[in-house]
Amino acid sequence: MKTPLALAISAAALTFTSLSMADDPTPGGVVDTIVQPEPPGLVLGMIQNAPTRTVSGNIYEGLLRYTTDLEPMPQLAESWEVSDDGRTYTFHLRDDVTWHDGEAFTAEDVVFSADVFHRELNPSARAVLQHVESIEATDDHTVVFTLTQPFGPFLLSFEAGTFTMVPEHLYAGTEFRDNEHNDHPIGTGPFKFSNWERGTVIKLVKNEEYYEENLPYLDGVNWHIIPDGASRAVAFENGTIDVLPSGTVENFDIPRLAAMDNVCMTEEGHEYFSPFAMLWMNNREGPTADKRFRQAVMYAMDREFAKDVLWNGLGNVPLSAFGSNARFQNDDLEPYDHDPDRARELLDEMGYDGEEITILPLPYGETWTRWAEAVQQNLREVGINVETQATDVGGWNQRLGDWDYDLAFTYLYQYGDPALGISRTYLSDNIAKGSPWNNVEGYENERVDELFNEAATAFPDEEREALYHEVQEILHEDVPVGWLMELGFPTLYRCDVKNLVTSGVGVNDGFKDAWLDR
Amino acid sequence: MSFFARFAQNRGALVGFIILMVIIAMAILAPLLFPESPWRMVQRPFLPPLSQEGFPLGTDTMGRNVASGLMHGAWVSLLIGLVSTSVALLIGVPLGAIAGYYGGIIDDVLMRFTEFFQTIPNFALAIVLVAIMQPSITSIVLAIAIVSWPPVARLVRAEFMSLRNREYVEAARLVGQSNSTIILRQILPNTLSPIIVLASLMVATAILLESALSFLGLGDPNVMSWGYMIGAARTVIRQAWWLSFFPGVAILLTVLALNLVGEGLDDALNPKLSRER
Amino acid sequence: MVYARLIIMRLLKAVIVLFLIVIFNFLLIQLAPGDPAAILAGQAGAADQEFLNQLRERFGLDQPMYVQLWRYVSGIAMLDFGYSYRLGVPVFDLIMDRLPATLLLTGTAFVLSLVLGIVAGSMAAARVKKPSGSLIMALALVFYATPLFWVALMSVVVFSVYLGWLPAYGLYTVGGGHTGFALALDIVKHLVLPATTLALFFMAIYTRMTRTSMLDAAQQDYVKTARAKGLKPSIIQRRHVLRNALLPIITLAGLQAGQMVGGAILTETVFAWPGIGRLMFEALQQRDYNLLLGIFFFSAALVIVFNIITDLVYSLADPRIKKGAS
Repeated sequence: MKTPLALAISAAALTFTSLSMADDPTPGGVVDTIVQPEPPGLVLGMIQNAPTRTVSGNIYEGLLRYTTDLEPMPQLAESWEVSDDGRTYTFHLRDDVTWHDGEAFTAEDVVFSADVFHRELNPSARAVLQHVESIEATDDHTVVFTLTQPFGPFLLSFEAGTFTMVPEHLYAGTEFRDNEHNDHPIGTGPFKFSNWERGTVIKLVKNEEYYEENLPYLDGVNWHIIPDGASRAVAFENGTIDVLPSGTVENFDIPRLAAMDNVCMTEEGHEYFSPFAMLWMNNREGPTADKRFRQAVMYAMDREFAKDVLWNGLGNVPLSAFGSNARFQNDDLEPYDHDPDRARELLDEMGYDGEEITILPLPYGETWTRWAEAVQQNLREVGINVETQATDVGGWNQRLGDWDYDLAFTYLYQYGDPALGISRTYLSDNIAKGSPWNNVEGYENERVDELFNEAATAFPDEEREALYHEVQEILHEDVPVGWLMELGFPTLYRCDVKNLVTSGVGVNDGFKDAWLDR
Repeated sequence: MSFFARFAQNRGALVGFIILMVIIAMAILAPLLFPESPWRMVQRPFLPPLSQEGFPLGTDTMGRNVASGLMHGAWVSLLIGLVSTSVALLIGVPLGAIAGYYGGIIDDVLMRFTEFFQTIPNFALAIVLVAIMQPSITSIVLAIAIVSWPPVARLVRAEFMSLRNREYVEAARLVGQSNSTIILRQILPNTLSPIIVLASLMVATAILLESALSFLGLGDPNVMSWGYMIGAARTVIRQAWWLSFFPGVAILLTVLALNLVGEGLDDALNPKLSRER
Repeated sequence: MVYARLIIMRLLKAVIVLFLIVIFNFLLIQLAPGDPAAILAGQAGAADQEFLNQLRERFGLDQPMYVQLWRYVSGIAMLDFGYSYRLGVPVFDLIMDRLPATLLLTGTAFVLSLVLGIVAGSMAAARVKKPSGSLIMALALVFYATPLFWVALMSVVVFSVYLGWLPAYGLYTVGGGHTGFALALDIVKHLVLPATTLALFFMAIYTRMTRTSMLDAAQQDYVKTARAKGLKPSIIQRRHVLRNALLPIITLAGLQAGQMVGGAILTETVFAWPGIGRLMFEALQQRDYNLLLGIFFFSAALVIVFNIITDLVYSLADPRIKKGAS
């Protein structure tokens, strides 16, 4: 069911696309937007959390960009080839790119970034690099990656926030984290870092030397830091802020803001991440160790209610472990509908004795708190004795890292391919204490391990599909975690900000093409 | 004039007393009038007040009955106020009494200890304590008690210092009563009236503190308190004013009532002052 | 001479108290669940064990606790507050960056609440048993009983959203390009709502306090004497009553001034005021221990400084103290 708001968005998105085609971009103007929370630093590659990606994706670049369908587009690499055996990737770099300090960008920078910088600092790049045997610069503008075996999603890994290009001439041979340039990031992107008044604003200015003709149109982007959600909404309403990136205002404010004059909204621009909300269920001990209990939880939850009430009808209730944006989704599975009676039956069958279990909400704002309250109530109504335990970010991290929980909310990025964003949650060799981002639920299934590992390196895609379909069937039955929702992360903006979302990462690299019709 | 007559002479105190009784009645009647859990999602979200029968104050962001939340919340807010004040008294009164009675080095040490707690800003300390213990009724009560006992200790100490050399205390000493007996039997009863007045104000402050903690997301997630209701409604204050309005008014009235009662008690227990006024 | 010794004694005590506070806070924070490395790793978007170990080693979190404590305390002794884990910037710089905003906010609110509170309180005292006096007291009581954050939210909705008179958040208009006088005016505009909100609560306290202590002072013998001498009531009120009534208010104000830094957490959060109250709350949530400890140190130091100032003002205002000290 689409709510009126969801319909309005699709309509707005349509008119928006057709309009922007007709107009000619005019240069000039500064856009005011929000970054929330204040990022810890701006050097992508050293830090990859959402706020840093949002700001620095406009300062730094990767070899490729991705469309909203996650097709690769040229960025620093103007073309690329994949060998027939799927093991050799050759990138041809542009020869007219310079860093913000004037030095030329060359293949050596790529080799340094990938082979040295990211291998040392960047856990998510490390996960991809384990498939890479060698990285070579064959000339100043050609780089060859040789893989140990084919790796299906390899071409999806070159986004700016994941595989950032960092300047070799400033970082080579230094202690990266103490490098003096960390305070003043130097990238190749359309905007240059200007200054950062902590607690107030981060200012980016136009890169006059940018290599793409006429770009960027904007003179600068101001990223405001406003810690209170209600104040952020007010700032957008009274015109101080032009763009609200997804997740910067509370969901409850979105319908009101979207209904204002001259305000547009798009759900596009998060496909690369397509955040997937999940309920960790501790597979090791207590009632949640029983498969029937976990299935009962799935039947007990009214996920459509949560979507409509908490997420304004945006997003998607998933069938199983693979989201609708993920490739290779198996849509033959029977959905877990809201069915309290079925849940009660399953609980009876397993002989649940009313043992108290706890639920940890995600400490990321009001919507998540409300969501935990709704789920708690859903579970209580089928007879599950559940108490909420409030935590802050530190407590939440520790509880999950120590596996000290029964149920816990989280959300994870899917990164466009099961091998990048999905398998990590279910692989048994990804069970390790101390991190809330691995196989926290403690699910172990040999067949699932086999299937995921084979699928990651199978070639070509048809073979991968068969393997992934089988793994989804097993997961669907076992319910290692609860699949809550694929979140809709809408971006709100003044309609006179044109061409804002042009890629699968949205405003993270969107200001490059944006212009103001004022 | 009797205590009650003196109390009733203060019209404000009488009003406060009536309001307080109403709120206590709300707390007691909550489970009878609204036997269902206040967390139950029972209707469409964002029903305005009086728009539907059975929902005089409307529904909240999740379709929960605001009236039910308000009644159940009365119980929680009063409980947190009373318990945390009692705990604060349990810490503050003995410390103050010992410091004031013995004086000298003991007094010095205890007062440094008290000062120490007063040197860390109250609200900041409360936040840190709740964050460390993780939010729950117990941690909130403890945190509020820990930041609010120092004034009690100071007050009791001052009272003891002025009373310890009175004739009747000297007399008790001469008869050979032990120090603890003198403290408990002779002096403490005479310090009760200012303590009671202070305590009534502390309950009010505790309710305010709890609401502020909840506002910052540090409330107990399993109990429906007024502070929680405002904190949860703050993001929708523009769409649904009634969600934060009613619990806000409830807090205001309770704190107001407690203050009025406190003043009335002050008048009634310290008749000399009030008559001269 | 007496003053000098008084001040030195107070300062010595202050250093000891500060030292204890540092240790107390350090131990307190160790009890909090979750370590900074895990949180930072989470913020980095992804993490493996190697990443966590790198961070722990970097911050010295792999050392035993007493080593960490020793390092921290000896650092403080050299006035070195260490680096913020999260932001990688010296704690001292961060605090100095934010302190002016907090001092501006709390200072304004302090003066505002004190002046208005004393005026309203003495008006109420002069109008005991009159409707106007009761009205003032009723208002004060309402301000006192209303949650601070609620007033903050409502004032944003009313004055900023519906009426559009005042900016809703921030210290100044970013990108406004104001300089000199225009900038000052801009800041004042931004200051109005947060300072008023913060001041209302404290104003209520001072109003009630002033009224009570003026009524008390009016009962004193010297006032009765003055009245018997036939002095004008207004002169008695100002010269004898108010002056003496001020003493307890000074004491209270001294205590409150320090506490305001804590109370500013709520105000700073709602109004996005870049002060240390907000910084403290963020540091706490991020387990940025060095930063949190640094802020505690500074706010405790502020409280102590205010207490000493209060004592001095008090002893200047009240000659009896001087005799007691010598």
